[in-house]
Amino acid sequence: MFRHTPLRYAALVLLIGAALTQTFTAGYFGLEILIEILILGMLVLALDLVAGFGGMVSLCHGALMGVGAYAFVTLNVLVGLDPWLSTLAAVAVTAGIAWVIGAICARSHGIYFIMATLAFGQMGYSYIFESPLFGGDDGMGGIDRFDLTSIGLDLNDSKTFALFCLAVLIAVYLFAAAILKSGLGRSLIGVMHNEKRMKALGQNTWRVKADVFGLSGIIAGIAGVLAAQHILFISPGMLAWTVSGEALVVVILGGLGTLVGPLIGAAFFVVLKHQVSEVTSHWHLVVGVVLIAVVMSRANGIFGWIEARYGAWIDRRLTDSTRTETPEEILTDA
Amino acid sequence: MLETRNLDKSFGAVHVTRDVSLKLERGERRVILGPNGAGKTTLFNQLVGELTPDSGSVHLAGEDVTALSVARRARQGLSRSYQKNTLFDGLTVEENLGLAASIHTGHASRLWSDCLSKPEVREIVQEVAEQVNLMPYLHATVSEISYGVRRQLEVGVALATRPLVLLMDEPTSGVGPEMSKGFHDLLNNLPRDLTMLIIEHDMDLAFDVADTITVLNYGEVVFDGLPEEARGSSLLKEIYLGSWENA
Repeated sequence: MFRHTPLRYAALVLLIGAALTQTFTAGYFGLEILIEILILGMLVLALDLVAGFGGMVSLCHGALMGVGAYAFVTLNVLVGLDPWLSTLAAVAVTAGIAWVIGAICARSHGIYFIMATLAFGQMGYSYIFESPLFGGDDGMGGIDRFDLTSIGLDLNDSKTFALFCLAVLIAVYLFAAAILKSGLGRSLIGVMHNEKRMKALGQNTWRVKADVFGLSGIIAGIAGVLAAQHILFISPGMLAWTVSGEALVVVILGGLGTLVGPLIGAAFFVVLKHQVSEVTSHWHLVVGVVLIAVVMSRANGIFGWIEARYGAWIDRRLTDSTRTETPEEILTDA
Repeated sequence: MLETRNLDKSFGAVHVTRDVSLKLERGERRVILGPNGAGKTTLFNQLVGELTPDSGSVHLAGEDVTALSVARRARQGLSRSYQKNTLFDGLTVEENLGLAASIHTGHASRLWSDCLSKPEVREIVQEVAEQVNLMPYLHATVSEISYGVRRQLEVGVALATRPLVLLMDEPTSGVGPEMSKGFHDLLNNLPRDLTMLIIEHDMDLAFDVADTITVLNYGEVVFDGLPEEARGSSLLKEIYLGSWENA
């Protein structure tokens, strides 16, 4: 079951503190990196929800984020719908598509599930790439950020937009945690542990997986809307399978099935990418080496490693506090 | 309460269930005996829907459930435990029971409410934990409890769906004689209106618990009657009980 341990609370507080510090101290480039981390954080939360707690390793979450972005821009820029209504509709469309993908793929497992989601993602990518309505290869522009000047916020200011993204990320995290603590979330975890038994107990496991995949689509859709507002331009590249692959790498790097871990992974991944890019354009090689090291260490990502060390430290402290001294130790102390 | 009519199943040339017809009345406790490979677990798998019979039908509380999925049959009151533990390993005993109970109450599919904190779910968890002697272990994870306690939990999880019919596949499989005796009391103390079908190799437990006994051999029912009749059956001694009588 999903549990908020003191260590997870501490990690969350540290992450929020670091994001706030960066917001108020960084320059333009630093803020852009922070916003990239925050939006990637939403995408990897969506992926961790299905992969880390439902065993559904998806290679279409990048495409789902792209669907959210394209739906928002189509409704807002092409149709001229109100940006908030466009956002609601875009998120609903993404969730609906995610539910359908989840419903179809939920009957498969393991490598077959991965391949089925990859196929769906690539279908979306190809369609957008070749569709003149959505700008084809050229993408779409003309995007404006939300107008919050009525409450004194100018989202065109990077600092304000970063704070806005942070607030949305916190809301999205609480949403994901609420799902996992609900009956549906507990069923999902039960399905991941033992699907056969869940069926034998009367649970419709297909429906559980499809529903959570749809809910995960809500988060991916929100990430897509914010990604479009961040760069003010969208292109078919957003739906490419490599985006889904990178999200999966981030989830594994951070700690699959921990919710907090993928956020750490997102920060680590983006910072590493930008730092290494300053030295060489082959930053993927460095990320690859780090990923191999993390996987080979048998720890559950960076946060999994921290949790294991913390657990061992707590055990040692408990053992030390309950251990009675041997006669030799008493004599030595005396 | 549970009835099979002419159930038949083959895997290629191997005929694993041959024209099996059984009828369990409400509250009846029937033990299925038979040597290894007799088709006992295969029969269970057909009853719960994990295997589809080639022909014949399964009826639960008067309704034909042959075409229903495993989950639908479970929701209609057919629950089973497995010969090998199929528990939720990372979860506590309380969460294992709670998950099963919340599926029964319908809270396990709801968003925005924690199914384990619902009073009706907690009530079932408490009741089942007392029935299968799990109260001391409620907060331990499955990996922290002994094998014998896991067997109790295996039965408890099946019970937490408040079934009409409980199928138990060798509930004492792998447990020692001391714990096996505890299982006699545990099964005898379950509600009298619960219909039970039990696969069991422990003869003492079988004759202690059973109202009726069915013996399968090569997928076929070769004996169906009272425990006293089973003890006196020469056919039974020949195919199965010889070693027990001589023990």
